[in-house]
Amino acid sequence: MARYLGRRFLRSFITLFIILSIVFILVRQMPIDGYFPNIEKMTDAQIQNGLHQMGLDQPILVQLYNFFKELILHGNLGTSWVYRDNVPVAEILAPKIPVSIKLGSLSLLFAMLIGLPMGTFMAKYKGKFFDNLGAAFIVLIQAVPSAVYYLFIQLYGTEWLHISMLFDPDKAISWVLPVFSMSLGNIAYYAMWLRRYMVDESKKDYVTLARIKGVSENKIFFRHVFRNAFVPMAQYLPTSFLNTVIGSIYIESLYSIPGMGGLLVDVVKKQDNNMVLGIVLLYATVGIIGLLLGDLMMALMDPRINLVKKGGER
Amino acid sequence: MKKLLAFLMTLALLAGMAVLPASAEENVYTALYSSEVSTLNYLTSSTTWDYTPGANVVDTLIEYNNIGEIIPGLAETWEVSEDQLTWTFHLRQGQKWYDYTGAEVGEVTANDFVAAAKYVLTPEYDSSLEYMFEEANILNAAAYYAGEVTDFAEVGVKAVDDYTLQYIVDKPTPYLLSCMTYGSFMPAYGPQLEELGADFATACEKMYCCGAFILTEFEPQVKHVFVKNVNNWDAENVHIDRIEQIYNAEAATLAPTMALRGEVDYADLSNDIIDDWKANNPDIISRGRAIPDFSYFFCFNFDPQYEAEYGPDNWRIAVNNSNFRHSIMSAFDRTYSMRALEPDDPESILQNTITPATFCAADGVDFSELAPFEGTEENFFNAEKALEYKAKAMEELTAAGCTFPVTILLTYKSGDTDWENESILFKQQLEGVLGTDYINVELYAGPSESFLSATRRAGVYSMMRCNWGADYADPLTWASPFAESIDSETGLHEGNSYNKMDVSLDGDAYPETKDILTAYYATVEEAKNITDDTTARYTKFAEAEAMLINNAMVIPYNIEAASYQVTKLNIFEGQYSPCGVSNLRYKYQTLHEDFISAEEYEAAYQEWLTAMGK
Amino acid sequence: MALLKHPKVEALENSLSAQLKRDLSEKELFSFAPFDEEEAELTGASNYSYWRSTLHAFSKNRVAMFLLALMLIIVLFTFIQPLLPGQYDAFVVTNGDNGLPLKNKQPSAEHWLGTNSIGQDLWARLWSGTRTSLFIGLACAMIEACVGILMGVLWGYVRKLDFLFTEIYNVLDNIPSTIILILISFILKPGVGTIIFAMSLTGWIGMARFIRNQILIIRDRDYNVASRCLGTSTWRIIVKNLLPYLVSVIMLRMALSIPGAIGSEVFITYIGLGLPATVPSLGNLINEGRKLMMSPSLRYQLIYPTIILSIVTISFYMIGNAFSDAADPKSHV
Repeated sequence: MARYLGRRFLRSFITLFIILSIVFILVRQMPIDGYFPNIEKMTDAQIQNGLHQMGLDQPILVQLYNFFKELILHGNLGTSWVYRDNVPVAEILAPKIPVSIKLGSLSLLFAMLIGLPMGTFMAKYKGKFFDNLGAAFIVLIQAVPSAVYYLFIQLYGTEWLHISMLFDPDKAISWVLPVFSMSLGNIAYYAMWLRRYMVDESKKDYVTLARIKGVSENKIFFRHVFRNAFVPMAQYLPTSFLNTVIGSIYIESLYSIPGMGGLLVDVVKKQDNNMVLGIVLLYATVGIIGLLLGDLMMALMDPRINLVKKGGER
Repeated sequence: MKKLLAFLMTLALLAGMAVLPASAEENVYTALYSSEVSTLNYLTSSTTWDYTPGANVVDTLIEYNNIGEIIPGLAETWEVSEDQLTWTFHLRQGQKWYDYTGAEVGEVTANDFVAAAKYVLTPEYDSSLEYMFEEANILNAAAYYAGEVTDFAEVGVKAVDDYTLQYIVDKPTPYLLSCMTYGSFMPAYGPQLEELGADFATACEKMYCCGAFILTEFEPQVKHVFVKNVNNWDAENVHIDRIEQIYNAEAATLAPTMALRGEVDYADLSNDIIDDWKANNPDIISRGRAIPDFSYFFCFNFDPQYEAEYGPDNWRIAVNNSNFRHSIMSAFDRTYSMRALEPDDPESILQNTITPATFCAADGVDFSELAPFEGTEENFFNAEKALEYKAKAMEELTAAGCTFPVTILLTYKSGDTDWENESILFKQQLEGVLGTDYINVELYAGPSESFLSATRRAGVYSMMRCNWGADYADPLTWASPFAESIDSETGLHEGNSYNKMDVSLDGDAYPETKDILTAYYATVEEAKNITDDTTARYTKFAEAEAMLINNAMVIPYNIEAASYQVTKLNIFEGQYSPCGVSNLRYKYQTLHEDFISAEEYEAAYQEWLTAMGK
Repeated sequence: MALLKHPKVEALENSLSAQLKRDLSEKELFSFAPFDEEEAELTGASNYSYWRSTLHAFSKNRVAMFLLALMLIIVLFTFIQPLLPGQYDAFVVTNGDNGLPLKNKQPSAEHWLGTNSIGQDLWARLWSGTRTSLFIGLACAMIEACVGILMGVLWGYVRKLDFLFTEIYNVLDNIPSTIILILISFILKPGVGTIIFAMSLTGWIGMARFIRNQILIIRDRDYNVASRCLGTSTWRIIVKNLLPYLVSVIMLRMALSIPGAIGSEVFITYIGLGLPATVPSLGNLINEGRKLMMSPSLRYQLIYPTIILSIVTISFYMIGNAFSDAADPKSHV
């Protein structure tokens, strides 16, 4: 296992390298006027000077080499060009990441606390009232675009709670609406898939066998069915938690929460290449670790899955 | 689950009972903003929004009052030499720089202006304001920037002593004063610039203030806080104690509701919701000021470079025909399409000249009313005339090998709702008058990012609403979009970046267009060289501009519409100027208890118009 | 469906009759017939058809059948609507008596769903937009399913490819789609084709990963190991052993990816990279309506497109669930 992990880590670094290189080359395909908000009034000489200052006049491979040299030798992601002129990328990201993680984890936790029991009970009472009620909720959440119901929650929620429409980090109560809004989608997601997997699982032969053996219905359901049904869900859990770093563009925009949500869209549009690469590095790292943890978790929970064994294929 | 619900309910109840604290301090002005400034560095940035902090925390040599007259700022007096080449400014004494905590740092001297100029002209700092020094004809500025002059002492910005500043120009520049309210001519504390270099003004801790306000907090994408600078020479004219700008990406949607709930003191009302507001809250709607710093006009593209399916070659023949252009211009009911931008009173922003009305005046006569413009109004909307032109154009163009209907690629920016709507109205109106047997207007949505390079500059349009902003208070600035652009290698015209009309100067394919252009460029050159007689200079420029209008080369359109808003400020008290940063200043404006009512607004507007002499 | 003969039965009949009808020489008649593995298999075929049973089970679900019919009607109606008498054009601005656009008019007999902020008929725009969005959704779901299943199966089953595919996945999944969307918007002009292309370019990755993980779970189950030991070809194991097992989850996922694609169009419009307003779509309409949401009297412009979007989503969700239930062989008995 240790060797397997070692190899996976090594591979992850190579993957990161490829991702960053591709993104690096991609963002440099954008038209140059994105770099100069004032290009209308600039002379060619000024544009050339500007490109030179940003190192964009060099051959792309040289730029790429310089980028990795700075990153690997000094851990330097460079400075922002447009988003916040001349401020180091790391300095911009540092205060934003914890905000999004805090908000995201809270909402994820809330979603699991509500969503998983909900899915379990829906499966247990399949076809009954509770199942239908849950299904109606899931359908409603899935059906109405979040862009729309988030607004309604904000408009009426703040009125009902008598609080400001905007987020205030000092007031605990101003967390309620953003966390609640953000978790709705995940509640529906967890409940829906858990129910689906559990219904599939409970039709399996071993369940019938267990029943014949006289194992209590509750024990079958919570010990066996739930555990097996949870396996395919488990792979997404680490990623979900790590992904909270990405933030929510809708929620953070609506409530003025100074997190990561929407930052990537913003900097890609503004062609702030260093910022783009910094964020891509962060997201990619998180994504790769999430994938690795997901695979490990699946293997841990279901002994039939073997990640290390070789030679199974024909 | 139950416990959690109970917890939430308790929280809700608690919050419900707690009385919301009223704002403790008086005179706090709170507003939302939806896009963050990219920098605080007023010496390098050139976008209007980026200027806002700089404009309020740093004073300029001169200022404008609320009716657009130049008044003393940091300079108490100034004079220009006989030969019009040396401008001398005498600075106000005892003005201090303050850091973000309000602590005094040093005195504002002439050296701070020189240091700032040097900073702007140093290529390493990549200032996008360097062009202003070239526009103002400052001696050796361009040469220093290009590295041809290495000693900054040779550049025409000099501190004679601590309180005397000189700008030396290489040719008479009658409009120099109006350049002085740009960021490029603002001072910056010399020793700090020296120390921080490229790091200058990357945070509020890294810049000093000498203006009406002090920037005490700058948390990007969270908030900006400005506090009144009580020590400023003009503090008695600063009526707001504290300005809080709070970031919200959805401000356009949220701000109006937040204003109604009393959470903010200002909100923009977009054109889509204005009907609803008029029905439900008519008493608190007011408007901004329409400022003639940007002018919009429709360009015909003389060098189309788009896909063959839209028939660029066909368009090239058509656009070089004067009757064709006139038929479009006469058929175009500008106030109809303008309703997408200004739903109620399009007449108020309509312009019949490229240089907007009230931009500048010679001997009390507004530029747009100078003699050469007499009769230009004949060219505008007239459906009957349009059909006459159409008949003539069809005849001539059929002979020239043009096929009908002519496709007009009308380019706009995707994501810009007002522009999109305007284009829809334009198409419907124009086709309604001229008939789809004659023209076919194709709407073309350009990309929302890097829009201009993908469309106008690349020549991907037949007709397009273009705009240009003034750099200084002289009609010369409005001729810039049409200035010839010549490829240095081939010696041929590569197309001025706006309507590419100068390409028709090469070769003899379109003699009619060539004649118009030759005359136009000659007139502009003549006008440029008149520097001692304002009336003669302006009249000459007017003559040139009238040529573009009378030959239907360009269709003047409008100035930026004054947005609907709810606000507690009386905006007519604010500084007013067609160029520079003056309009962004909060100085002079008073904060009212309640939102300005529709009546108050109307009264203030009329009063202001009277003061302006209209 | 029941009218059609089962293909296996048909094939068997054909081969038998060919054998019988053939005019064979005497010598051939008395030679040994070669052993044909396939035909031998056919003789053992039962009359059970997986798909026919699935459809049968599905058709018993009344709600799902109703929603399926509703979807078909909606799709059909989006095409018929412009042809009906008395309809406004989705693009034409209606002018009032004073020659000015009738904007933001509440729903009335003239304009059934009112007009938008420049005076275009919302009823017409709603159907035009629904057509566009459904097309985008279907196209994206099809591409996603085809590419995703193919890649996912290869990735999950063929161990030699696992390394390569995981690597490709990691790279593609971590290149933010915003970058690709914006780059594409520079190269291609905004339009339906562009948006489908841009969304499909990265959309299949999720599906592929999903399939791969499913395959991974069942790949080494005993019956597959047994199949491999018996020398069954990889392709056959995939098509006969693995995919039928996954039909139910694949169907559910596909059914959800149609509204998913419509939803991401809403998001893409929200971040300013969507279709131009000259091409109405549900994404456009909802985002336009969203800006007016705070004004109660204009909220109708948001409500109607949201209702249609919700109906589409609910329908596909229910149809997908019903179908995946029906696709489970255990419910066929």
